[in-house]
Amino acid sequence: MMITMIVLAIALCAIALLYFAVRSRRIHAGGQPVRSLDLQAFRTLMDRDDETFLRNKVPRWDFWRLKRRRIAVTMKYVGRIASNAAAVLQMAEAARQNADAEVAEMAAQVVDMATQIRMQCMVAFAKLTAEFLFPSLQLTPAMLAPTYQALREKVLRLGSLEPQNAAPLATAI
Amino acid sequence: MWMRVISRHLWELGIFLQALLTITLLVKRSSRKFPFFAAYSFFCFVKSSVMYVLVFYKRQSISLEHWMQGYWIAEVVGIILGFGVIYEVFRKLLNSYSALHALANAVFKWAFVVLTVLGFVVLYVQLSPGHAPDAGAMYLVEEAVRTTEVGLLLFLFLFAGAFGLHWRQSIFGIALGFGLFISIELMALTLRSYLPESFNIVRSIAFNTSLLLWLGYLLIPESATQDRDMPKLAQLEQWNQALMELIHQ
Repeated sequence: MMITMIVLAIALCAIALLYFAVRSRRIHAGGQPVRSLDLQAFRTLMDRDDETFLRNKVPRWDFWRLKRRRIAVTMKYVGRIASNAAAVLQMAEAARQNADAEVAEMAAQVVDMATQIRMQCMVAFAKLTAEFLFPSLQLTPAMLAPTYQALREKVLRLGSLEPQNAAPLATAI
Repeated sequence: MWMRVISRHLWELGIFLQALLTITLLVKRSSRKFPFFAAYSFFCFVKSSVMYVLVFYKRQSISLEHWMQGYWIAEVVGIILGFGVIYEVFRKLLNSYSALHALANAVFKWAFVVLTVLGFVVLYVQLSPGHAPDAGAMYLVEEAVRTTEVGLLLFLFLFAGAFGLHWRQSIFGIALGFGLFISIELMALTLRSYLPESFNIVRSIAFNTSLLLWLGYLLIPESATQDRDMPKLAQLEQWNQALMELIHQ
C-alpha cells in the first residue's frame, strides 16, 4: 500500500508540475521580465563587516530580527539576478544562431556566464535560507555581485555587436 | 457493453489523430529534428492500427498466446522508444547550454539510476507474497518502467525551471504531451486493480489528449519573444529608497 501511495504521489506531482510549467510559459509568453538592479545596494547588503558590527553592538534578539529582514531583502535581489540571468540566457541563446561569428562567440560566452549565475543564485538561496533559519550562521557569500557585473559588461559588448536585439537588454539589467 | 463501445470509439479517434500526427511530422519535416519522437509516433500508429484490425476483424485468426506475445513485444518497443523521446527532449533542451552539459548529464544519470532502483522496488514489493499480481507480471514491469519515465520527466522540468531554461515550443509540446500521458497511465496502472473496467478507457483518453497536445504544439507557430518588461526609472528609485530605509531602520 505504501509503495502504491508513493507511485501515485509521483504521478500527481508530475501532473501538477506540468500544469505549472504551462502556466509559467503563458505568463512569460512575451519574454522573461527584466528588472534593473542596484549592484551597489546589493554589495552593501552582502557586506559582512556591517553584520559583524551589528552583531557586536545590538542585543542578540535584535540582531537576529535585523539579520532576517536583511536576508529577506537580499533574497529579493538574488531573485532579480536569477530572473535577469534567465532573460539574458533566452536572448543570448537566440543570438548564438547569428551569422556573424563574433556575435555568436560573444553570445556563447554570455550563455555560459548566465548559467553560472543561475547556479550561484541557487547556492545563494540555499545559504540565505540556512542563515534565515539560523541567524547566528555566517556562510561564505556567493560571488554573485562580481559575476553579475561581468555579465553586464558582456551583454553590453554583445549589445554593441547586435544593437537591435541585445542593446535594450544590456541597458535594462 | 457501453464501456466497449466507448473504448472502440476512443481507439478509432486515437488512430485518426495518430495518422494526422504522422502526416504533420512528415509534412513539416519534424521527423529529422525529432527522430525518436517521429519513430515513437509512427510505431504507435502502426501498432494501434494493426491491433484494431486484429481485435475487431481478425480475432479468430490469431491465438490468445500469440496475441499476448505480440502485445507485450509492442509494449516493450514502445517503452524503449519512450525513453528515446525523453533523451531527445533532454538533448534538445540543453543543446544551447554548454555550461550545463556536464552538470545535467551527471544529474540525469544519477536520477536514472535512482529511479531505476525505485522501479525495481515497486516491482519487488508488488510481486512479493501477499501482493499477488492481478493482471499479469508485465503490468508490474510496465508500472516500474513508467515510474522511471515520469521521474525523469519530473527531473527535466524541475531542472529547466531551476535554471530558467527556455523551452522551444515543439520540444515543450512533446515533453508536455508525453508527460501527461505517462503520468495518467502510471496512475491507471497503479489503480488498475481498483478500476479494472475503466483502465483501458482512462489510458485511451490520456493518449488521445497527448496526441491533441502534440498536434497543437507542432502546428501552432512559435510566438515571438522580443517584447520585454522594461523597468521604469521611478519605480527603481522608489524601490531603492524603500530598501535604504529598511536597511537603516
